[in-house]
Amino acid sequence: MKFDKIAGVVFLAIGILFIVGSLNISNNAYGSTVGPKTFPLILGIILAILSLRLLYEAFTAKVKEGNTEKEKLNYSKFAIIFGAALGYAFFLEIIGYVVATFLFLVIAFQTMERGKIIYTLIISAVFSFGVYLFYVNLLGGALPKFPLFS
Amino acid sequence: MGTLQYLMDGFAIAFQWHNILFALVGVVIGTAVGVLPGIGPMSGVALLIPVTATLTAGMPMESAAASSIILLAGVYYGAMYGGSTTSILLNTPGESSSVVTALDGYQMAQQGRAGSALSIAAIGSFVAGIVALLGLVILAQPLSKVALKFGPAEYFSLMLLGLAAVSGLAGKSMTKALIMTVAGLMLGTIGIDAVSGIARFTFNQPVLFGGLEFLTIAVGLFALGEVMKTVLEKDTGDEPVAKINRVLPTKQDLKESAMPITRGSLLGFFIGVLPGAGATLASFFSYITEKKVSKNPDSFGKGNIAGVAGPESANNAASGGAMIPLLTLGIPGSGTTAILMGALIMYNVQPGPLLFEDHPNVAWGLIASMFIGNLMLLVLNMPLIRVFAKIIQTPKKYLLPIIVAISFFGVYAVQYTTFDLYLLLGCGVLGYILSKHDYPVAPLVLALVLGPMIENNMRRALTISNGDWSIFVTKPLSLVFLIVAILWLAVPLLLKFSGRKVIVNEED
Repeated sequence: MKFDKIAGVVFLAIGILFIVGSLNISNNAYGSTVGPKTFPLILGIILAILSLRLLYEAFTAKVKEGNTEKEKLNYSKFAIIFGAALGYAFFLEIIGYVVATFLFLVIAFQTMERGKIIYTLIISAVFSFGVYLFYVNLLGGALPKFPLFS
Repeated sequence: MGTLQYLMDGFAIAFQWHNILFALVGVVIGTAVGVLPGIGPMSGVALLIPVTATLTAGMPMESAAASSIILLAGVYYGAMYGGSTTSILLNTPGESSSVVTALDGYQMAQQGRAGSALSIAAIGSFVAGIVALLGLVILAQPLSKVALKFGPAEYFSLMLLGLAAVSGLAGKSMTKALIMTVAGLMLGTIGIDAVSGIARFTFNQPVLFGGLEFLTIAVGLFALGEVMKTVLEKDTGDEPVAKINRVLPTKQDLKESAMPITRGSLLGFFIGVLPGAGATLASFFSYITEKKVSKNPDSFGKGNIAGVAGPESANNAASGGAMIPLLTLGIPGSGTTAILMGALIMYNVQPGPLLFEDHPNVAWGLIASMFIGNLMLLVLNMPLIRVFAKIIQTPKKYLLPIIVAISFFGVYAVQYTTFDLYLLLGCGVLGYILSKHDYPVAPLVLALVLGPMIENNMRRALTISNGDWSIFVTKPLSLVFLIVAILWLAVPLLLKFSGRKVIVNEED
């Protein structure tokens, strides 16, 4: 229930910020009695009320989590893959689709399970080249080019 | 022109060679999506939108819309066929709608009857698909005629009803479901307001002017959220797969499953038409019904074929039934139909009562193609079931990174900005955290799609009434919708207080 308490506070904050934010929207729409601020304002109020309800539920819930076993989570694996994905997004337009995808897949495959480096290289290469050729050359779509050819 | 004439015209469109090809590609990918754990129908459909958009780029707008919706809908009902495969062979359902299939299906596989279970699931799905389509054909025109009389006030209330229905049934806590719904509506207000041209909640960031793309959010919350969950929580051990001996069911099997299939189809169809109550709920109800009417209820859970035939028919019929509110009223009842609707809007085709008048080719072409698609699925699933069963054995270590790469490709190909990629990753983390703590994400996506329409109709209604809010309760139909919406939220609460168990729907 600890998560719900935090979430309740966060949602309450979002609700209040939304109310404040929508009050700051200028209300000069002409020809209409209801301007652009009405709907967000209502939403903000509803969210604030709902998060109060959530907080109430979280604090009154019976604590029966005496023996909650801590799940073992693969934080390191997750961190590497997430980091690689962030890098993928960052470098996509700089080094081009094929290279970025290839590098991301190699890192991610090897993080999931070490070894079989040849399979990893083949699958990554086939996927990154395959998607690029299929999408750009066959379907006529656009993706960031190879840095070598641009 | 009568319904039959329209249907014939629809078949003329569906039988164009490229549309047959689109339907085939759709159902094959759909089956694969259903078989693969980690990609549900929702992310499958979402990921294919950019591909279909490019495939249909050269065509005139209306036939492009028809072709791509034929493919995307194929993925949707194809996934319903495929979902049963993993339930039966691995005891791990590929979709939430196949959870109950695993109860008896896996037991049958243990007894060496995997082939019978799989083929009965395919036959049941086929019958159910056809039943749902007939219902769609019969109900489509009368319903859209009724809906044409709706004004903005009625629409506003009807959409609130849709949201209430989804939130009332989703997840364990209604408070959490409602919070997610409101959060989705809020995300929908970001961007430049269409009526007044004023930027809202954009903080002067140009990338936010166009609003948040629902495709990015849906793929992030569902596909990436699921990937992150698997990376964090599960080890990547691959389970043994049951063997398939014979593919055709015996006469005894067919006889025992005829009635469950009929019941499941009808039940599933009517549950599917209701907004919010999707395929998952339909399969649960069908399983309970079969157990009740069975002569020996004890045999359920030990490999009774009725426990496979009924729920599998029901979930397929429900996915067909769910097309009715989408096509005739323009209101999606589930996450996946919300995404189909988003795809249609991308082509400037607005689903709703006018769809059948303005774009009969799109509406009837889709309906006709679903007949063909279901037939293809039956043909594909019987002999090729072994091939699809092989897909299950794709090792997770390759599957998960590739899902990430496909999501990146799909989002970038539509949006062309790296901002959406960061948003995608952010939504992935949020999707994982939220669903881990029982905050359902399907209502959020639905609300995101419906949000702008709700606001527009609200403002139009209030403009008509000169700002008088009572317009929503003085129009009789609108009042009825609002009362039903309130009941939908209140009844489960009342049942809960009276100490009864409430079945929840966890559809993705």
